[in-house]
Amino acid sequence: MSDLTQLKLEKIDEYRFRIPRSYKPGMRVPGIIYTDEKLLKDIRQDKALEQVANVAFLPGIVSASLAMPDIHWGYGFCIGGVAATDIEEGGVISPGGVGYDINCGVRLLKTELQYEQIKDKIKDLVYALFSDVPSGVGSKGDIRVSAKEERQILLKGAQWAVEKGFGIQEDLECTEEYGAIEGADPKVVSDRAYERGKAQSGTLGSGNHFIEIQVIDQLYDSRLCDTFGLELGQITVMIHSGSRGLGYQICDEYVRSMVRCLEKYKINVPDRQLACAPVNSPEGEEYLAAMKCAANYAWANRQCLMHLTRKVFERVLSEPWEKLGMYLVYDVAHNIAKIEKHIVEGKEKKLCVHRKGATRAIPPNHPELPERYKKTGQPVIIPGDMGRNSYLLVGTEKSAETFFSTCHGAGRLKSRTAAIRSIDANALLKDLESKGIIVKASGRDTLVEEAPQVYKDVNDVVDVVHNAGISKRVCRMRPIGVIKG
Amino acid sequence: MKAGDLKGIFKNTAWAIFDIMAAKQKKGRLPKKTIKIKQQAANKEELLIFWLNELLSLSAVKGLVFRKFSINNIGAGYLEAVVEGEDINSYKVNTEIKAATFNGLLLRKSGLGWLAEVTFDV
Repeated sequence: MSDLTQLKLEKIDEYRFRIPRSYKPGMRVPGIIYTDEKLLKDIRQDKALEQVANVAFLPGIVSASLAMPDIHWGYGFCIGGVAATDIEEGGVISPGGVGYDINCGVRLLKTELQYEQIKDKIKDLVYALFSDVPSGVGSKGDIRVSAKEERQILLKGAQWAVEKGFGIQEDLECTEEYGAIEGADPKVVSDRAYERGKAQSGTLGSGNHFIEIQVIDQLYDSRLCDTFGLELGQITVMIHSGSRGLGYQICDEYVRSMVRCLEKYKINVPDRQLACAPVNSPEGEEYLAAMKCAANYAWANRQCLMHLTRKVFERVLSEPWEKLGMYLVYDVAHNIAKIEKHIVEGKEKKLCVHRKGATRAIPPNHPELPERYKKTGQPVIIPGDMGRNSYLLVGTEKSAETFFSTCHGAGRLKSRTAAIRSIDANALLKDLESKGIIVKASGRDTLVEEAPQVYKDVNDVVDVVHNAGISKRVCRMRPIGVIKG
Repeated sequence: MKAGDLKGIFKNTAWAIFDIMAAKQKKGRLPKKTIKIKQQAANKEELLIFWLNELLSLSAVKGLVFRKFSINNIGAGYLEAVVEGEDINSYKVNTEIKAATFNGLLLRKSGLGWLAEVTFDV
C-alpha cells in the first residue's frame, strides 16, 4: 500500500479532491472525495483513501469512485463510499459496497411537544425506552414470527408491520422505497439467515444503533421548516438500526459466492472484500434479490421500533401518540445498492448505485418522491454523535453529480478498541449529564465506544455537503436522551 | 495471532473471537453442546475466514459461546472440526462481531510457526 499521508490529491475546488487514475494501475475512473482541508487531515490517517482507489477497479464503474466527508476505513468500500456501475456495460454489484448491516438506516419522527413541556420527563422516557425496546448484542424481541411470516417480512418490509398494527399507512409514504424495495426473493435467502432473523424483528441491536430524543436548536431554512412542521424547541426522535443477523448472514454468504466469481468473470480487484459479479449474472441477480430481502427486513424492523417508541411515549406522557404528533418525517437507508436511472455524459443510463455509509438525496420534483415532498426534495436524516448534533437536510439538483447521494453521519475517528483504552465511562457520563443528556446503554464498553470524541464533528461534515451543494441544511437537533444497544 | 502449526492458528483465532465477544459470568461447570463443522474453500486464507464466520453464525443461531476447538483434519482448502460451546446466557456479551473480513487478511508461515491477522467488523 502506498503512503497515503503523502498521496497527492488534486484539488478540484474547496470541497472536492481527486485521486488521479494514475495513482494505481487498474483504476478505471478517478476517486473524488467530498471534504475540506480541515477534515482531510483526519481522512489521511487511515486506509480510507486507498479503499476509494480500490473501488475504482470495479468493472463498469462510471464517472468516479466517490467518498463523502464522513469517510473512514471500512471493509472493501470505505464507509462513506458511493460507486455506480453501468449494468449494460458489464457493471458489477459487490456485497462489500453495501456492508454486513444491509439497510442500516435511520428515521426521524417529529412531535408536537416542546422541550419545556417534557424536560422533567426525559429520564422517565429514556428509562422506559431502555426497558421496552429490546436492545443489545443478540437481542431478541417479542415480535416472534414463523418462517412463513418471515417470508412476508422479506417481501413486504414495513408494509408487513403496518398490516400487523405496528403503524399507519402514512408511515410508508414517508419511508424510502415506501418501506419495501421491489424484487426481493425470499427463495434466495438461506435457512441459516432465516434462523438468525426470526427472533430479531423489532430489536435495536448494538454498537452504534440507538434511539435518541432530541430538541431542534437551530433552523436554517424557515420555508422548509414550515413545510415540514418543525420549529425551534420542538422535540424529535431519531431511530438508527438495520437488518441485524439476517443481513450479516446474507452478506457473508454472498461474499463467499462472489469470491468465486472473481475468477469466473475474470475480474481483478485489489481486495477480496470487493468480490463482485456482473449485475446481469445469476450470482449478481441472486445477491440483489437477497439484499432486497434484508433491506425490507430492516424497514420492517425500524417500523416496529417506531411503534414501540410511540407506545413508550403514550405510556409515560399519558396521551395517544397521535395527539403527541409523533409522525414520521422520513426514513432513509445508508447501506444499500439500488438500480437507478441517472444521466451520464448526457445519456440516461441504468446504474447499480452502491451507497455504503451514504444516503440517497433526491431533489424536488424527482419521480420517486412522495407527493408531500415533491416541492421540498427528499428529507435526508444525518445522525451525529450523542454529545453534539444531528441534522435534517434535503436533496438538491446538484447532487446529480454524486448520483443523488450525500453523507450519512459523522464518521468514526477512533476505533472501538482505541476508545475503550482511552475513555473513562464515568467521566463520559458526567460530561453528558452536565450537558443535559441522559444516556442508557447496555454496557460501559458500548457507551465508551460511542463517545462523542470518537466521531468527527458532524457540523463539519454537514458544512461540506451543504457548501458543496449536494444537500441543503433544514434544521439541527441536539440530543437530550439516548438509548444505546 | 501466532501458533505452531496451521491447526493451531485456526484454533487460536477462533478462541480469540469468543474471548473478545463474551466473558463467562456463571462459575463452575456448564453444560456443553458439541457441533461438527466442515468447510471448504479455494485456499487456506479463504478457509480461515469461512471457518470464523461459520462459528459466528452458529453462535448466533444456537445461542452458544464456543470455548473448545478440535481441528481433526485440515488442508489448504478443507477443514473438519468439532467445537464445544456453552449457553450464551451464562456469559456477559461485550461486543457483537458481525463477521471476519478479508480486509488486510494475513496468513503465513513465520519462523517455526504461523502468523495470522484478521480484521473483524464489529
